[in-house]
Amino acid sequence: MGNPAPPYDVVGKSVPQLAAREKAAGLTRFVTDLSLPRMLHGRVLRSPHPHARILHIDTRKAKALPGVKAVATWEDTPKIKFGPRSEDWTIFASDKARFHGDEVAAVAAVDPDTAEEALDLIRVDYEVCPHVVSPLAAIAPGAPLVHEESPGNVAAEFNISAGNIDQGFDRAFAVYEDSYYTSQVYQAYMEPMSVIAETDLSGRLTLYTGTQIPNMMRMTYAKALGIPPEDIRIVVPEYGGAFGGKMENNIHLVAAVLAKKAGLPVKLTYTRHEDFLAGNPRVPMHIDIRLGATREGILTAKDVRVVGGAGARLVYSQVIVSTACYRVDSLYRFKNVRARGITAYTNTVPTACYRGFGNSQSTFVLESAMDELALRLNMDPAELRIKNGMGAGETSVHGWKIGSSGLKECVEKATDAIGWKEKRKVKQPLKGIGLACCNHVSGNRPFAREFDGGSAMVRVGKDGRVMVFHGESDMGQGQNTTFAQIAAETLGVPLSRVHVAQVDTDVSPFGLGSFATRGTLMGGNGVMAAAKKALAQLAETAGNILCVPPERITCRRDMFYDVDAPDKQLSFGVVASQATIARHGAPVVGTGFYKPPTELPDPETKQGNISPAYPFGCQIAEVDIDPDTGQVTVTRMAAAHDVGRAINPMSVEGQIQGGIAQGLGWTLMEDMHYGQGRLLNADFVDYIVPSAFDMPKIDAILVEPEEPNGPYGAKGIGEPALNPTMAAITNAIHNATGVRITTLPVNPAQLLARMKAAGSPGPELARNQNDRQDTH
Amino acid sequence: MTLPPLHIIVNGEDHHLMVPANRILLDLIREDLALTGTKEGCGLGKCGACTVLLDGRPVHACLLLAHQADGCRVDTIEGLADPAGTTLHPIQEAFVEKGAIQCGFCTPGMINTAKALLDENPTPTEDDIKLAIAGNLCRCTGYHKIVDAVSACACGSGKGECHG
Ligand code: FES
Ligand code: FES
Repeated sequence: MGNPAPPYDVVGKSVPQLAAREKAAGLTRFVTDLSLPRMLHGRVLRSPHPHARILHIDTRKAKALPGVKAVATWEDTPKIKFGPRSEDWTIFASDKARFHGDEVAAVAAVDPDTAEEALDLIRVDYEVCPHVVSPLAAIAPGAPLVHEESPGNVAAEFNISAGNIDQGFDRAFAVYEDSYYTSQVYQAYMEPMSVIAETDLSGRLTLYTGTQIPNMMRMTYAKALGIPPEDIRIVVPEYGGAFGGKMENNIHLVAAVLAKKAGLPVKLTYTRHEDFLAGNPRVPMHIDIRLGATREGILTAKDVRVVGGAGARLVYSQVIVSTACYRVDSLYRFKNVRARGITAYTNTVPTACYRGFGNSQSTFVLESAMDELALRLNMDPAELRIKNGMGAGETSVHGWKIGSSGLKECVEKATDAIGWKEKRKVKQPLKGIGLACCNHVSGNRPFAREFDGGSAMVRVGKDGRVMVFHGESDMGQGQNTTFAQIAAETLGVPLSRVHVAQVDTDVSPFGLGSFATRGTLMGGNGVMAAAKKALAQLAETAGNILCVPPERITCRRDMFYDVDAPDKQLSFGVVASQATIARHGAPVVGTGFYKPPTELPDPETKQGNISPAYPFGCQIAEVDIDPDTGQVTVTRMAAAHDVGRAINPMSVEGQIQGGIAQGLGWTLMEDMHYGQGRLLNADFVDYIVPSAFDMPKIDAILVEPEEPNGPYGAKGIGEPALNPTMAAITNAIHNATGVRITTLPVNPAQLLARMKAAGSPGPELARNQNDRQDTH
Repeated sequence: MTLPPLHIIVNGEDHHLMVPANRILLDLIREDLALTGTKEGCGLGKCGACTVLLDGRPVHACLLLAHQADGCRVDTIEGLADPAGTTLHPIQEAFVEKGAIQCGFCTPGMINTAKALLDENPTPTEDDIKLAIAGNLCRCTGYHKIVDAVSACACGSGKGECHG
């Protein structure tokens, strides 16, 4: 019973998502669509101040309002300090509100209007304190302290170095140095956060919610509520996107506290405004970089300082800052690197994961710096990347073992597709073309620490229906379909036989969840292992019937057969039925797991292979600059991504296009804007995300070097899809104008001013540019 | 003030309902009629997730009072497939086949907008399509496959499958 070999029947085929028809018909029940009998509606009272002492909360009038079933404040919680990686959270603000939007009180009532009315009846006396929003200001002497216990607002520090940084720079012919800033941006998943919480008579809590990490979240919440994890059940219905944003959040705990108090189910759905105020957007970062290379363009040293804004409590920002410090070091053949990272408390909404997880911030910076080096070396930026790019079989400066790398091929294919060479040669006024690369992980060993692999159960019923149970989380991007394809291929059945169960912590394996671009590789390998186990049991039944040893039995295209006598056949359905009969009704269940060949990094040196596979990519953008407004239009992009094998090419393309859309939004329009510590653009009126009109034509190119550790050779694509977009666009802006963008998002007025300062915009400027490039 | 009963025809079915004056059309659809296929993404007319067809024209149900739809035909995503729900409308089919659906939260509004466009202009150009869906946000797909799906439904798109 060997592995299926290519050509595959199901893997590598473009198929619609399993749930696509239901979604198209409007029949899919998303979290916000669910309701339970006698369910109450929750609303949260939020701090209007970025930083204020809470002197007194009077909830009497709210409690007295007819229809109000529960009012809760910090006093009604177990008063335990907790957090996914820290102990700086409370359910509701206790002594102080620390950001505009901080949870102060909440109400559950028979309908949303009554709940809203009750919020107006809660009196809170605040004593306003000085606040700090900028991460750099937060760590400056004399800044207001967000948490008194954290002097200097330093929430976490991270240092890493390898090789000899001074020697590296001594050997450099060209050195580039600058300071960058990347904005706080919002994931803008289309379905806002939502949860239904209910408690049974024994006090056991059930949460129905869209979450990327059902199992890990359960551990965090058990601590917060002072109950054992087994007293929490989390069910994950279909949900409308996450992109990193749906992990631990007080929404679930507030609903849980209300449900317990009221003794009834409580639904809490954030309004879009609230989701802006109290979601967990991207960590804003100041990044200083120094980068050196020899005359031949060999990178010699990279030195980086990162200061990230955590907001008012730590969600995952400290891990994101450390990722920004070093993940990108395995994109190129670095020998000497150093990075220092500080995660600073600020009086903003707590920041956390957003597609790219710190690597997108640092990729923007490194890839801008690479462009500058190419200029100084008078070298084609594409050539500089290829010269330094990590290849298969190499080990990076931090001990990362690159099993497969399509980086060079990505650069070649993207440059070919867009006509890079010709377009770089013939400079047109106010038009530019820029390129950027990226690397990423497919799983991250140090993130969950206990383990990092994946697992699944594959159940084959008497009816031949195959059900895959996993504990990861399909945020809507198609993970379930990928898992079903892997299961179908492994079992040798058509995709139509395979279904994927919704994640329910009472039933599903303890999956770590969807982050670190780990789903396809870790979860997919888990599914493959489980399917093999189920197949072995079925093969035994088939072997018994056919009087052939099970090792000689295999299944393909829904038929079991003897490999030595292929006309001895039995249908999958018959075998499934017979197997269940032989076991007196017990279904065939295969349980399998994947243990990746990874290492926890050494605490001192941080050396260690943290992921079983590393995806790479290259994106190229073409831009037009409006000479009157400085407005940037991205006219075309080519995006070549090394995905190992694409299990579902159509789905991978969709991820690439979607990632680019988010990266384009970040580069050109998105920034959570604060005034006097308050978030000023907390809705889609003022916070603009890309529409269909903002999107360029995109050539999505799949580069498929077989990944030895991937299921059917696959690695992930989620985060790499966005990582290079920002620098590809800003490098194109530089090519068009000579202006180096060091702050995201691009400010058209400033761009225009800098263009004018550098020469007049228009053909004139373009000529200057050509001259400058020629003289290098 | 008591208002007369509201009369609306939703997906071809007559409804006479007592509805408070301040009831938002979206809430009436989602809560009173339990047609949860219509989504709420912003409540401010800025995302298009709540797009339904009012007498055939796409509107943001989150911006209308239910009584503003008095006497009107309201078509939601649930009414687009055949009543048994087994055969999808060609536009829905195209969204499925072209991979235009990821999380699917924008999909009902997007499909309704596309339906209104194609009803009015059976041969839209790519720019016509982009213009029509410019008010429908999708955060997952980058819009490419959505535009592909709508293009595939245009008359003379080569597939010989004019919708409707
Ligand atoms: S919910 Fe109506 S436009 Fe967003
Ligand atoms: S498919 Fe998720 S928002 Fe469009």
